[in-house]
Amino acid sequence: MKTGIKIALSLALLSSLSFGGEQFAMSDSDRAMYAEMLENNPADIMVANGEQLLGNLGGEAAFAKYLGVSEDKLPEYIAGFPRYIEKFKMVVGIDQVLQAMMHDAGEKPFKLKSSDMFDMLAYTKSLANGVKSNIDIDANQHMKDAYALGQKTFDTKRGGRGLSCLSCHAPAVIGSVLRTQPLPDLSSKGVAVAATWPAYRMTKSSLRTLQRRFQGCMKNALLKVIPIGSPEMVALEVYLTKQAEGTEIAIPGLKR
Amino acid sequence: MKKTIMMSLALLGSLVAADYSAVIESPNASKLIEKDLLAPAKVYTMPKGCITTDADAIARGAFMFHNLNGGKVKGNPPKGLAKKNADDKPKQYGNCVACHNIEDAEGAGNIGPDLTSYNAMFMATGVRDNQFVYQKIADARVDNVNTHMTINLTTKLFNEREICDITSYIVSPK
Ligand code: HEC
Ligand code: HEC
Repeated sequence: MKTGIKIALSLALLSSLSFGGEQFAMSDSDRAMYAEMLENNPADIMVANGEQLLGNLGGEAAFAKYLGVSEDKLPEYIAGFPRYIEKFKMVVGIDQVLQAMMHDAGEKPFKLKSSDMFDMLAYTKSLANGVKSNIDIDANQHMKDAYALGQKTFDTKRGGRGLSCLSCHAPAVIGSVLRTQPLPDLSSKGVAVAATWPAYRMTKSSLRTLQRRFQGCMKNALLKVIPIGSPEMVALEVYLTKQAEGTEIAIPGLKR
Repeated sequence: MKKTIMMSLALLGSLVAADYSAVIESPNASKLIEKDLLAPAKVYTMPKGCITTDADAIARGAFMFHNLNGGKVKGNPPKGLAKKNADDKPKQYGNCVACHNIEDAEGAGNIGPDLTSYNAMFMATGVRDNQFVYQKIADARVDNVNTHMTINLTTKLFNEREICDITSYIVSPK
């Protein structure tokens, strides 16, 4: 079941990678390596580390209990993050919930940008693999505000070159080439990006989260890099997760 | 004894509805973004003597067009162009080739129009003039509010002279 999903997703990825023209997308040897990695995602060991870390806190069952949902409803609940949680009085990502949970268990929470947190986040989100992404941006005013802030952050031009995320990720430029990189579609069904992060990034040889990926684009495009977990970062995640609505979650993803 | 006190303190902590703002990282980013915002679109007039056939100026323009920043380039930049800023950080160049094809481009992108044969196609025919190209590079929003093009003078990424060098390169016959 789980591998079935992975393979279907991978095919979509493979075809999207060849989309920009072979000379741009990947060399044959890169493609062969990619195919090999699909069978055996290098991030699997990082996700396994995440499983162990969550296990130290009581695992899946404890996480469900902490969130006040039954274990069989947990995957669907996870597929709805980021969400507003009354207890925290803010819209949070899964990683932030894990920080609170660690704290309440008497442990020092991992930093959001630490690799242990990336691993634990990846494992926790993978509990929803195969479930359709189901964020509800109309659930309450907080979610509406977060979505609006996400869109605004996405559209705002700033930084050394006066670019916004939209400059390179507007529907009109999808598939164009930015210095040999075909610009990915962040929203259409089947390639929906938010459902496939955390992911292994081959060019970075590490597991990265969605917010960490945002930081990569900010850095490259000379936008001031904003910190993981800031309201704007969570809002960007809300904005892109909404665009991934209805797509099956498949963690860990595999990216160039 | 000590242990029980600690335990009851912990219990107390969890009873008094916890304030998670000190537990969950949620750093402020709005100040960072505020300072990073792009100033409004601005109309510019080319300074005197801007467009030139001086080979050094054109070489600098070409270099800025084809390269990303001083940290990435091998060898020396052309005369009159630094690799680093005064603060020792790598100097940013235009990386125009990321979006535009032009003569001798390597790995050019196609988000922006192809600028190959620009002189013959647009200058010689009178479709474009120097001032148009200068303004486009300085601040493209003036004739296209929603442009996907980089803003190069309003952001102070480049100074006037540098925009002149880049413009001179684009409009020169190649
Ligand atoms: C100058 C162009 C540019 C800008 C500006 C830009 N991006 Fe990107 N982005 C790209 C390119 C090119 C890729 C694909 C790179 C690759 O294949 O490794 C990408 C990839 C991504 C991905 C990963 C897509 C996937 O396949 O999973 C995400 C998410 C993303 N960008 C979000 C953002 C956000 C959010 C911003 C604004 C903060 C932004 N980008 C700004 C060019 C840009
Ligand atoms: C992120 C993509 C991107 C980058 C980087 C970029 N451009 Fe552009 N450029 C565009 C787009 C899109 C257009 C067309 C829309 C417009 O005119 O605003 C354009 C238009 C132009 C034009 C107008 C061509 C004509 O005759 O209509 C010139 C000249 C130009 N760019 C030069 C440059 C130079 C010089 C640089 C680097 C300093 C650069 N561009 C960097 C995307 C880009």
